[in-house]
Amino acid sequence: MPQGYVLGVGKTRFGPTSKSLPSLAQEAILAALKDAGLEIGDIDAFIVANYLGGPNEGRLHLNAVVAGLMPGLNLPGWRVEAACASGGVAVHQALLALSRYERVLVVGVERMSGIPGMQLTRNIGMAGDLDLDQSAGLNFPASYALVAQRHMQAYGTTTRDLELISLKNHDNARLNPLAHFYHKTVTQADIDAGAMVASPLRLFDCCPVSDGAAAAVLSAEPRDRRSVPVLGSALSTDAISLSQRSTHTSFAAARTAASNAYRQAGVTARDVDFAEVHDCFTIAEVVAMEDLALCDPGEATRLIREGVTARDGELPINASGGLKAGGHAIGATGVGQVYEVVQQLRGEAGGRQLGKARIGLTHNVGGVGGTCAVHIMGRPDES
Amino acid sequence: MSPRVCPSCGARYSYELERCTFCDTELVDTESESGVVLAVTEVSVPSVGHEDTPYWCALLETNDGGTLIVKLGRSVLVGQHVTVGVPDEAERIVVGVLGTGLMGKGLVELLLSCGYDVVWVARSQASMDTAREKLTERLSRVMDEGELLERYRRLNAGIDMSALRRCDLVIEAIVEELEAKKSWLRTAEKAMRSDAVLATNTSGLPLDELACVLERPERFGCLHFFNPATRMRLVEVSVPDTTSAATLERLEAFSRALGKVPVTVSSRPAFVVNRVLMPLINEAVRSLEEKAAPAEQIDEAIRLGLNHPMGPLELADLIGIDVIVDIMDNLVSRTQDANYAPRPMLRQMVEQGHLGRKTRRGFYDYSAPRA
Repeated sequence: MPQGYVLGVGKTRFGPTSKSLPSLAQEAILAALKDAGLEIGDIDAFIVANYLGGPNEGRLHLNAVVAGLMPGLNLPGWRVEAACASGGVAVHQALLALSRYERVLVVGVERMSGIPGMQLTRNIGMAGDLDLDQSAGLNFPASYALVAQRHMQAYGTTTRDLELISLKNHDNARLNPLAHFYHKTVTQADIDAGAMVASPLRLFDCCPVSDGAAAAVLSAEPRDRRSVPVLGSALSTDAISLSQRSTHTSFAAARTAASNAYRQAGVTARDVDFAEVHDCFTIAEVVAMEDLALCDPGEATRLIREGVTARDGELPINASGGLKAGGHAIGATGVGQVYEVVQQLRGEAGGRQLGKARIGLTHNVGGVGGTCAVHIMGRPDES
Repeated sequence: MSPRVCPSCGARYSYELERCTFCDTELVDTESESGVVLAVTEVSVPSVGHEDTPYWCALLETNDGGTLIVKLGRSVLVGQHVTVGVPDEAERIVVGVLGTGLMGKGLVELLLSCGYDVVWVARSQASMDTAREKLTERLSRVMDEGELLERYRRLNAGIDMSALRRCDLVIEAIVEELEAKKSWLRTAEKAMRSDAVLATNTSGLPLDELACVLERPERFGCLHFFNPATRMRLVEVSVPDTTSAATLERLEAFSRALGKVPVTVSSRPAFVVNRVLMPLINEAVRSLEEKAAPAEQIDEAIRLGLNHPMGPLELADLIGIDVIVDIMDNLVSRTQDANYAPRPMLRQMVEQGHLGRKTRRGFYDYSAPRA
């Protein structure tokens, strides 16, 4: 029995824009409603996912901001913040909320452009602990750099493996008109020229900072033959700092969420045809594949080298371009992953449609594994 | 901050918590004084609070089995043993401050905030009492009663120079007058241990003239802090020819330990910052004299046109008009260049006692609360 159905999805382009946060949210909401064949009056409750509205723009109380997009409706609505996993957590909450509300709208939205670099790096770093990480200068790329160093020591992962992920995801983004780097071809020469950010991670190991929004309408019942069943939805957490963990090459929150989602969906990792995983840094895609049990620990790099995770491989990972090239509009990212998986499962992904897309998975991480939300969805006609 | 563990169930916490979430037992501190590097990353992107790159973040496995992230100013290797929680310089040395003016107060506030033991000496008990009152007011903006008491235990304030015997480093921050500084420096040196370093906070008096009155000129140099000392990151470090290389190194290291960035400059008149700033202020005053625009607009033009955070006239009010006139007069006499001479309006303001913020009147009126 599915946890609920995705009736419709909508997404703005991820990337720099002058559009305001309310305007981005509205664009995604209208697209999701249109996709579902619904009107805003058909919605019973909404959840807003956002990370940095406060620190970046001085915008808080975002449920009421979104209420302003539907004046007079006075719907129940609330905001979720779980760093980069805000979107995935909001989708999880929306499914839970279906016990009370018939149709729940989720909208993830973020504005990142126009914020001075040093300030933005600090703000994004707020996903790390104030005392344990931020005060030690451990910004976001530095956290994942330590994960990469540990993974290299443990499994012989190389910077070349990381480059292959970057090249693959940039290649995928060229087929996704809503991707941050839809218009940019990234070559090995670009990667070689990329500046060091936090060793061993260089510029092209890092996702961009994007503006954007994504929305989805969920319901306990399917509405039509395009309604996509959510087979499994799981959320798990872990202590916020790497310094509070005994393992640094894997995220317990992701492993727990994945195993709970598989159990709920009645599938195993082997049944997954494709996945949208949280590749905020290239190393994160490696860790994601292993945490999701798509391969054994230390084996992800082999699959990457052999092209298994390419669009035409047996297990395509991040066909949308992922966060790396599709863009990372933080609060919107988890919802954007659901957008991609729904498009693929319906066979509506256009030029990047995958051959085999019966079971799709999303993996959305907050910070360095402090939060993880995993969703497993199936084909609409098989529900 | 050392982790805390539950003596009953073994749960480990990284925060300064009192009790265990699982069994409500009182937590105890662990000792994590050293660790082995598990991984290290060289961070090349600056962020607010970590402006200077590169720096290194290391993940350590501590000797009690936990892990810890530390920021380092140097590269380390995986497997290397790194000592953490070693008392830093603040816990090892005692710093003396002479003077209770703007800079004296600012320096004591800075040093106490950084955890130093401080010996503060004033010319009179009355000026010390006033200064201490002001200091308490400033510190209590960021500290609670307990923290304030803890800091004051580290402060020895009075008028007795012999207290400087405890100091490893003494910073003189009295009035910017050559003879007064000479006399205070000489007295301070006599009270100090022979291994201690003496620094003046002059903004431009000739260092060699100050050095020649001392018995140990090799242990003397200049640390030129900027106002407000707690916030301004620059320290101009300058030494006369008689200073030893070791002393210069100590002055630079001390500046860095305070979280400042030392820039070492030759001991030319007014060093670098004031040498560039004084003509800027003087020209702004000339523009005002010639009615180029009202003060507010001159400041706004410079703020926006040169991307300065403050205009030159409001900055002059902050520094003090009398201080500026002193520096300019000094520049004229030491360079023999009349171009540095203070504009007539500046002299007139000093005569009228309009010295800037401290007298509530300068180029601007500070008597009424600003809207």
